[in-house]
Amino acid sequence: MLEYLAIIFSAILVNNIVFAQFLGICPFIGVSKNLPSALGMGAAVTFVMAVATAVTWLLQHYVLMPLGLVYIQTIAFILVIAVLVQMLEIVMKKTSPGLYAALGVFLPLITTNCAVLGIAIIVAQKDFGFVYSLVYAVATALGFALALTIMAGIRSQLELADVPRPMRGVPVALITAGILAMAFMGFAGIKL
Amino acid sequence: MPGTPLTIIIMEASKVLLDGIVRRNPTFVLVLGMCPTLGTTSSAITGMSMGLATLAVLTCSNAAISAIKNFVPAMVRIPAFIVVIASFVTILQMLMQAWTPALYATLGIFIPLIVVNCILLGRAEAFASKNSVWLSVCDGLGTGAGFTIALTLIGSVRELLGTGAVFGAQIFAADYGALLFVLAPGAFIVLGLLIALFNRITNN
Amino acid sequence: MKSTLLNMILSLTTLTLLVGAALGVVNYFTTEPIAKANEAARHEAIAAILPPFDHLEAQTSGELTVYPAFDGPDLAGLAVETYSDAGFGGRIVLMAGFDADGRLTGYRVLSHAETPGLGAKMDTWFQTDKVIGTDTDIAVRADGGDIDAITGATITSRAFTDAINRARHAFNDYNHGSK
Repeated sequence: MLEYLAIIFSAILVNNIVFAQFLGICPFIGVSKNLPSALGMGAAVTFVMAVATAVTWLLQHYVLMPLGLVYIQTIAFILVIAVLVQMLEIVMKKTSPGLYAALGVFLPLITTNCAVLGIAIIVAQKDFGFVYSLVYAVATALGFALALTIMAGIRSQLELADVPRPMRGVPVALITAGILAMAFMGFAGIKL
Repeated sequence: MPGTPLTIIIMEASKVLLDGIVRRNPTFVLVLGMCPTLGTTSSAITGMSMGLATLAVLTCSNAAISAIKNFVPAMVRIPAFIVVIASFVTILQMLMQAWTPALYATLGIFIPLIVVNCILLGRAEAFASKNSVWLSVCDGLGTGAGFTIALTLIGSVRELLGTGAVFGAQIFAADYGALLFVLAPGAFIVLGLLIALFNRITNN
Repeated sequence: MKSTLLNMILSLTTLTLLVGAALGVVNYFTTEPIAKANEAARHEAIAAILPPFDHLEAQTSGELTVYPAFDGPDLAGLAVETYSDAGFGGRIVLMAGFDADGRLTGYRVLSHAETPGLGAKMDTWFQTDKVIGTDTDIAVRADGGDIDAITGATITSRAFTDAINRARHAFNDYNHGSK
């Protein structure tokens, strides 16, 4: 139990996927302009990351490894994730229109969110167990959602600031992210 | 293009090449492929290597996608492009493991993640699926060069400010460097400032 | 091209088969170079961290592989391929070298998946006299030792000391076994 708490803490704060691992930067910059869409994207990524990690884990351990096909891992994983996102979209549309209305627009963006493929590959490389992988994936996604939410909060305030013209938009967002990354570095070295 | 004079072919090709480097620079103008841009630029050499790896995959995938564009039904276009890109990435992974294992270890996860670099799918959809193989190769080389130049520049700035060196050549004593620039926050800040600088130069 | 179910299935199947064949061929031709590259990295690492030797053996010691190096009949040093699973990116694999008296003569990082720019710096960070030349277990400051952890990568630093200490225990086992 303590072991899982340590992973969760580490994946959300110490080694935050955006601020320390540089994964999922495109949606982090693109979808952090206001709070509701940041929360929606965060929830959608958490959901897809959990399902994708579970499916790619099974694929890795029950198909690729027994058949000696680990070298096609990259191509197999990205196809599985692409198909999975499509299927989630269809299922969600049919079964829970409410959820679809909230998360649907973010789903197509997730296929090329490198955080999802990144975590699937990291989990395979590190040879984590199934439950451990799932906990790690969900915690990492929560770290992503946290980063997105903080950023959205700051950016809605930033709208009111008088930013020099060449710095508007992406540049000032990146510098803000840099300062946030500094803050997150404060978590490094915490003993668990 | 039978009958087209050679000068026109060359002019067209150089325009496509230059577009990728300056006017449509993937990093500074389109702001695509941010993850490797931030994650692999802690030094000039790693930034440049990542840029060249992406250039290689992009040129090959552009060429292949342009070659098969007439045989792929519109509805399954995107999955087909992803298969092509992913297979070139996998080939690159195997070649790097065999002949540049140290570099492969340094770039780590960002090599397989070339698959989800929006630049590749973006160029496949916007350019290679509509143009000839020859022009698509030029577009791949140009866009790849634009990406490589950007990553090398960011890597150089970060390495210089962080460790006082560029490409490992010491310019001022490492003790005067601010390590912050080699670490995560430095990546965001340097990229932000460089994009602002690029905006300042091109727009005003 | 117009999409019909038949041509969609046909074109994707053909593409997948082509790609599969291409990958199979490349895999066939790179399997051996990849194995060789790994082997070369191992031997280069041993030569770099041990005192001069003229003859190298390999044997297992518990779960680790140790490489006793001889200069003529005398033991010149012992290289240990050691690991730690406590790295942030999972397993780190090191080659650690000891002289005949059990002092750490050097280390090389063989493989890791640590964060670039942070934990990945362990290949140079610990090349200090607080690590090299020691003949007892080491620990980072956070754990009561006197080694400075890599900035922003305490987890990696801790994994490093864990791997080095594991190698030292293998050295001690080897030493007891041979006396």
